[in-house]
Amino acid sequence: MTKKKSPMMKIFIIFFVVEIALVLISGNFTKELEIGFDNGKFVFRQIESEFNLQEKITEEFQIDEYNAQHEEVKDLYGSEKLFSVFKTLSMGETPVGTFQLLRMLLIVDIVLLFMALFIRKFLAGRPSKSQLIFEMIYTMLEDFVRETLGKDKIYYTPYIVTLFIFIWICNMIGMIPIPGFMEPTRNLNVPLGLGLMAVVVVHFSAVKFKGAWKHIQEYMPHKNPLFILDIVGEVSKIVSISFRLFGNILGGAIIILVVSSLVSFVVFPVGLNLFFGVFVGTIQAFVFTMLALTYIGVEISE
Amino acid sequence: MELTLAHGIVKAAALLGAGLCMGMGALGPGVGEGFVAGKACEGIARSPENASLITRTMLVGQAVSESTGIYSLVIALLLIFSS
Repeated sequence: MTKKKSPMMKIFIIFFVVEIALVLISGNFTKELEIGFDNGKFVFRQIESEFNLQEKITEEFQIDEYNAQHEEVKDLYGSEKLFSVFKTLSMGETPVGTFQLLRMLLIVDIVLLFMALFIRKFLAGRPSKSQLIFEMIYTMLEDFVRETLGKDKIYYTPYIVTLFIFIWICNMIGMIPIPGFMEPTRNLNVPLGLGLMAVVVVHFSAVKFKGAWKHIQEYMPHKNPLFILDIVGEVSKIVSISFRLFGNILGGAIIILVVSSLVSFVVFPVGLNLFFGVFVGTIQAFVFTMLALTYIGVEISE
Repeated sequence: MELTLAHGIVKAAALLGAGLCMGMGALGPGVGEGFVAGKACEGIARSPENASLITRTMLVGQAVSESTGIYSLVIALLLIFSS
């Protein structure tokens, strides 16, 4: 009797092998652990006994401070000349963290572009599986836009879908176990920019549908100074929408790092990655999108 | 010597504050999310055909009510890593 492996099993085995290879390549394994024969005995032990979690977290989350403490920046830039150029450009600072963030954002953009081109190329009347998935996402978000904004304002759908897919890929890409990969949303600047963009879209559409004067008038109906509170509310919209995404992703990343450090980075915490990566990432991308949509809907409704 | 003692006191106070901030900040969202989930269970039991809509609304509402807990997490992280 020949027993065929199911495709899920195959995928799992491939992931397992790739993961082991990545861990071996990434250097954590060789730095922290020694595997081999020593004096005739099989050895599996930690070499560096003093492991500093605080320092590891600083290295992972505040790379600029870490480099300022350890002065290892010059190697990262490749040559002395390039290093001095960037140092003069950024007024004495060495923004490695910014470069990492921009690199990750570029990777996310490339993934988005390739996805769009790929799906566009294989568009068919009889859809394939990937096309079905994306049509499902698009139709779902289009339904939400139709329910919230009305049938004549359906052209907000591309913005909403782009927001959702961008944040979703940003949250997912940190789970790829390649050294240097991180979620771009872990840095506060990305969610803050997205939130600022959402609020700008809200006010732009309000001005477009109601007129500028009427939109300003809504803030001070009785000519009393209480309209300052409304302006504070507008700022708190940006803060709440962006800090929610940022805090969720950063907290998940720190918890994954702390739990991984408990087992000396040997075991990959699959359950934690499933919860904080897949579940929380999807929910937060969805919530960000829904809140942006709701803000638009509240402003432009009569 | 005095400088290091002061640094230690500040660090200890910041860590204590971070723990208090996280513990107290987690109380409200926990109660709120549990309340929302219980109400959603009641709603699904009353009308099972609306289960997907209720689940979606519940998740969004929970994520919004979670935000105060997330703020306290951010403040705790600030206290730990920038003191």
